[in-house]
Amino acid sequence: MAFLTPSAVSFVLFALIPTVGVLVLSTFSWNLLGAGRFLGIENFIRLLEDGRLWGVYRSTAFMAGAVLVINLLLGLLLAVLLESRMPRWLRGMFRLSFLFPFVVSSSAVALIWRFLLNKDLGLVNYWLGQLFDIERINWLGSSGWAPIAVVIVSSWKTLGFTILVYVAGLQAIPREYREAAIVDGAGAWARFRHVTLPLMSPTILFLVVINTISAFQLFAEPRVLTQGGPGDSSRTVVQFIYDTAFQGFEMGYASAIAVTLMVLLVVLTGIQFLIARRWTHYA
Amino acid sequence: MKRVRTLAAVGVVAASLAIPAGAGAQDPSDGLSGSLSIAYWNYGPAAEVGNQVIADGFMAENPGVTVTLTPIAGENWGAYYANLATTIASGQRPDIAFTASEGIKFLAQNDLVVPINEFLANDPEAAALQADIAPALLQSFAYGDQITALPYGWNNMIVYYNKAVFDAAGVAYPSVDWTWADFRETAQQLTADTDGDGNNDRYGFAWASNEIFPGILPWVANAGGNLVNDDVSAPTANSPEVVEAVTFLKGLLDDGIAATPSPMGDIFTGFQNGSIAMFGAGRWPSATFLNNGFDDWDIQYYPTGTTRQTVAGAGAYAILRSAPDPNLAWELQKYTVSEPVQDSLIGTPDAPRDSIPTLRSTAGKTVAAGIPPANGAIFYGSVDDYPTLTPFPAPAKYSEYESTVLRNLQLIFAGEVPVQEGLDTLQSELVAVVGG
Repeated sequence: MAFLTPSAVSFVLFALIPTVGVLVLSTFSWNLLGAGRFLGIENFIRLLEDGRLWGVYRSTAFMAGAVLVINLLLGLLLAVLLESRMPRWLRGMFRLSFLFPFVVSSSAVALIWRFLLNKDLGLVNYWLGQLFDIERINWLGSSGWAPIAVVIVSSWKTLGFTILVYVAGLQAIPREYREAAIVDGAGAWARFRHVTLPLMSPTILFLVVINTISAFQLFAEPRVLTQGGPGDSSRTVVQFIYDTAFQGFEMGYASAIAVTLMVLLVVLTGIQFLIARRWTHYA
Repeated sequence: MKRVRTLAAVGVVAASLAIPAGAGAQDPSDGLSGSLSIAYWNYGPAAEVGNQVIADGFMAENPGVTVTLTPIAGENWGAYYANLATTIASGQRPDIAFTASEGIKFLAQNDLVVPINEFLANDPEAAALQADIAPALLQSFAYGDQITALPYGWNNMIVYYNKAVFDAAGVAYPSVDWTWADFRETAQQLTADTDGDGNNDRYGFAWASNEIFPGILPWVANAGGNLVNDDVSAPTANSPEVVEAVTFLKGLLDDGIAATPSPMGDIFTGFQNGSIAMFGAGRWPSATFLNNGFDDWDIQYYPTGTTRQTVAGAGAYAILRSAPDPNLAWELQKYTVSEPVQDSLIGTPDAPRDSIPTLRSTAGKTVAAGIPPANGAIFYGSVDDYPTLTPFPAPAKYSEYESTVLRNLQLIFAGEVPVQEGLDTLQSELVAVVGG
């Protein structure tokens, strides 16, 4: 029990109490300075009438979904490639290259990408024009491209972590299973499809859950790249919560929005675990 | 927000210069005593050092006074005010809070700030101070009939131009009486495809996408409009003047004369490498450019539209209601406007400070000291020689107000919403923020 104390104290201080605080605050109107006013469920009724919020949820869902899919698929592909035969130094270099963006501050990464993606003066448009004769894309200033820019940068930033976990999962698969498949005459695809993929399913489940939660918490990238715009096209729910709390000084309403995000993530995670029972295999 | 953030930064850095003890307005024989706490925006080491020097300088002049500092974190002014409110809500009671003009209504509407009208009327030193401060600067700290603080340092919006780009294009430098038509023609002549790849890579102008002040506001002001009404109780974002200003800027984009609006930091980079020939800001980019060894630039007023008005905002050490001894807090506020503290805001030719001294007499020393830009006299001249945009368009929820304006302008400038329709939407959204 004594071993649990540090974790328990930290959980109570930094998770339980703030969560309860947010739940309580979501029933108040409070601007930080005056006395709070109890509203009951008024903030939640207001949520239903807030057209901006649902627009923000739509853009968040698009960006989070895209980042999730890219991370899971591209991450798996790159992890498998990294585990294939290659000189050790080359493997090390690739691993470092993929992991590097993950350890750099999100704001710093977003700032650099903001320069690269500048419509008129950025290198990305310059080289797209030089190589493919493509007209300049308004990456950060159009509602169509801004969310895509956020997805590209966020995926680039987080892909390294996904690859790292995939590689660990791949290395944990007992060698004998693949060797047995080879003896049985299975080709590369059959080995991947019937041996590697099923045994990677716990890893995939872990990544689905972690990536879903982190994708829905996107903040720094859209804030630095596009400030959430144009309009709300690249604004995330977490950014909206921040704006409501610290620009509008509506702590109660911001808390109510935070509650919806919490409920959504709990439900999504629950669904993922339920579905995962059917396809997760443990070695 | 960059403007006032830098204002704060430079203000406190400037104050970190050696200020001789006993050289300020206070006579040690006054026998001041007591304690003061100052809440300030702690955006980094410069803020910590600068505020410490102001505290130390005031204590050196007044040995009976203890000044303590309460650093408050925040990524911008909006977050700073929110955290200041949290600090006050948690029971801490600072006597003084550093604030920008944008925050005055927030402080005043929440009854947090002590007006200084009585101090100005009764303090024998106040008349001389006021005579040396442009009235428009004092006015930027007005809340109704109340003056809420003596401005410590300030910035206005002027146009920076890259002289090398002008020379290369064979275009005359802008003159003081240029008009919007002149500006457009100048920007057109400066825009070019310098590498011959079929795309323009040099633009006549660019404006900030992340701030109102160096963004659309100078244009709105010179069209004779404002984003709010006279008592900042209702928005006027879809008035004909605002429509005219935004339409003009949109036209620059449509014709490829202006680069797509970007955050201010990106524009600095483009200006220095010659990709952007002109942009608008306050004094703060000067230090950035000179630190990078870039000195081939000068400044000019924004071009005249229907009228010419200066857009300016300031920073100040406001006295809070929680101060048990407002008289002592007033003495410290006066100290920040004293000659030695103000002189430190000038800087040097290699390292000019980022804000303009509040005292006219001190500001006048800047050009004489050989501090760039050559046309630097127009910094103070802008508020002495021309009317200033009034009212200062900063409602209590300034941060939300600014983000609402910028969010809607993004759609207009991206060409996704027509100007009038976009401004009508902005107007309706601002009603919820400003009132009306």
